[in-house]
Amino acid sequence: MSDRMLTMAEAVREAMSIAFDERPEVFLLGEDVGIYGGAFGVSGDMYHRYGSERVLDTPIAELGIVGAAVGAALSGMRPIVEIQFSDFTAQAMDQIANQAAKIHFMLGGALHVPMVLRTPQGSGTGAAAQHSQNLEPWFASVPGLKVVVPSNPADAKGLLLASIDDPNPVIFLEHKLLYKIPGRDPVPEGAERIPLGVAKVVREGKDLTIVATGIMVNKSYEVCEKLAAEGISVTLIDPRTISPLDMQPVYESVEKTGRLMVVQEGPAHAGFINEVIAQMAGSSSFGSLIAPIKRLAGMNIPIPYAPQLEKAAVPQIEDIEAAAREIVKNWR
Amino acid sequence: MSFKYPVVMPKMSMTMETGELLLFHVKVGDQVKSGDVLFEVMTDKIDMEVEAPADGVIETLVGTPGDVIEIGKPVLIMLTETEVMAFDFGGDAAAPAAPLAEPVAPVAAAPVVQPVAPVAPVVAAPVVQPVAPTPPPAAPAPVVVAPVAAPIIVNTSVKAVPKARVEAANRGIDLRTVHPTGPDRTITMSDINSAQVDPAILKRQAANKALIAKGIEMTRGIAQASFNRRANANFDHAQLISAWAKVLRARPDLAAHQHVGVSLIIESKYGSALPVFRDPDLINIEELRTLVSSTSDAAKNGKVPIAMLSGGTTTIFDLTTYSMSSATPLLFPNQVTSLTIGYDSESTKNISLTIDLNFCDFYDGALLLDALIASL
Repeated sequence: MSDRMLTMAEAVREAMSIAFDERPEVFLLGEDVGIYGGAFGVSGDMYHRYGSERVLDTPIAELGIVGAAVGAALSGMRPIVEIQFSDFTAQAMDQIANQAAKIHFMLGGALHVPMVLRTPQGSGTGAAAQHSQNLEPWFASVPGLKVVVPSNPADAKGLLLASIDDPNPVIFLEHKLLYKIPGRDPVPEGAERIPLGVAKVVREGKDLTIVATGIMVNKSYEVCEKLAAEGISVTLIDPRTISPLDMQPVYESVEKTGRLMVVQEGPAHAGFINEVIAQMAGSSSFGSLIAPIKRLAGMNIPIPYAPQLEKAAVPQIEDIEAAAREIVKNWR
Repeated sequence: MSFKYPVVMPKMSMTMETGELLLFHVKVGDQVKSGDVLFEVMTDKIDMEVEAPADGVIETLVGTPGDVIEIGKPVLIMLTETEVMAFDFGGDAAAPAAPLAEPVAPVAAAPVVQPVAPVAPVVAAPVVQPVAPTPPPAAPAPVVVAPVAAPIIVNTSVKAVPKARVEAANRGIDLRTVHPTGPDRTITMSDINSAQVDPAILKRQAANKALIAKGIEMTRGIAQASFNRRANANFDHAQLISAWAKVLRARPDLAAHQHVGVSLIIESKYGSALPVFRDPDLINIEELRTLVSSTSDAAKNGKVPIAMLSGGTTTIFDLTTYSMSSATPLLFPNQVTSLTIGYDSESTKNISLTIDLNFCDFYDGALLLDALIASL
């Protein structure tokens, strides 16, 4: 059964179920995660399988939800929090940034917060500015948090299991548009973990290195396939964890291709992907660059409601394709 | 006459700042031949054997195996009878700049006020700008080592992708000579790859660049004026050198020197050489003519006697061999005047004089040129 194709929602549910079965201290809490099965159907039937003591429906009070999870984690539990939209983490930010991220440090290592906060992010659903943001840099800039951005069901499963194991608070950012689509690769049976902080080289090429996060990995992959047919071969790297960030494969690849393009959904200004550029610029691989580094990112605007504008506000496949073609053509 | 010649830690790559002395192949008193291995050096990139630049005897081992030595600092001192090793343009373009040495003879003690470079502006291999002068090693006699030069300049005024800079430096390509085809006139890797580099041209460019770098260095903040006059063409280099020295000798206020040193730029396939003729107006014109002729021939082969590399107080550049009529010569450090001779007609030449306005005024310049033409 190694050719099992799951959606990301199914893969995340499977990982949570494995963790539930492995450890009695794992539980899930959030708005509508119980009877309703989750705003995006991720928890599904877990309420019925594990009962109301392990799958907790909470009031609409994000600060309270995360606060309860932090307290439970300090008391020996391993809570999984689901926040319906990542935009709502703003409500819970004190617990996330000031409590969960700092406690281990401020108590001299005496306690830790093994909490996972899962939350869907991103645009493309017509949900407008307050339900469509990509907030990767908010979390990636807080020391004490680990930040995971899975781009496909198989990675989501293995990374979520590793996140639940991790003694640190982990922010797990799932893209809404990926929930319903099967990945390119089958999702393995079993409980294999994918270690945090290890980037994945999705495919290898010699002309260009693309580093992309989340859904942009998928969009970039399609571009890679198309360009391969024209003889342009691209290395695609998915950091998977953006904090900590694994740059080694990026350096190694750029030393071969000489060209680097980075792609993220969130706004360009002070975005996470800029960190990749900064580390490259300061590395000994800088001298391998034969082209200026190209950045593709969202516009510096709130995500618009009108579908055409919403689409135009973040990089699309055509944008990635055009930019990739241009960098390879112009810089030889 | 025997010369002390410091063999220094060579610069073997763009990034090299120090090298580790691995071992000596010679000991004090050893007789060595040019090309014999003297010592081995290790850097972060390569190990290299350093060869004797000339026949001679090992006088002092300055370093000790295991020492990490800055580039340009002496590793050993040898005594050589060979005068011609002051610089050697014939080497590999990537080879380190040959150090320059003053003879052990008393000339070194001449009161030449030259804080920047203790030797005449000689242009050495792929050289750009002087680094800090190397202090003399702990040797009994004064040995003066010229500033060690860095290789190819990193030119930030041209746009180039990072890899192009790295490759240009590695291959000895001057980015200013590369035609940019990239966006915004940026030099791309394909521009570097299609840059046709003739090794001879490369050496010449590097040499000229050094000349230019010196020119820029000393023209900064200095006001200059140039004068141009026509003169009868019936004089040779010896007559010109002698006449110009005589004119300058009458104006001791224009040079902080106790001698007049006329340096004549001689172009060769190895670059520009600038032998200095000391007090040429005090020697017999026939003797001077012989000296100028033999020195020019030697310089064209990339060889100039060490004793003739220092003490220049003025410079002459003869453009007539290029059929050029005039140019504004640059002043070298610690020189107040510079002459160029240009082609004018069958019977006449252009003489251009550049003066440093910090030391003399326009009237002085006109008088000097007048006096020169009168004495020719």
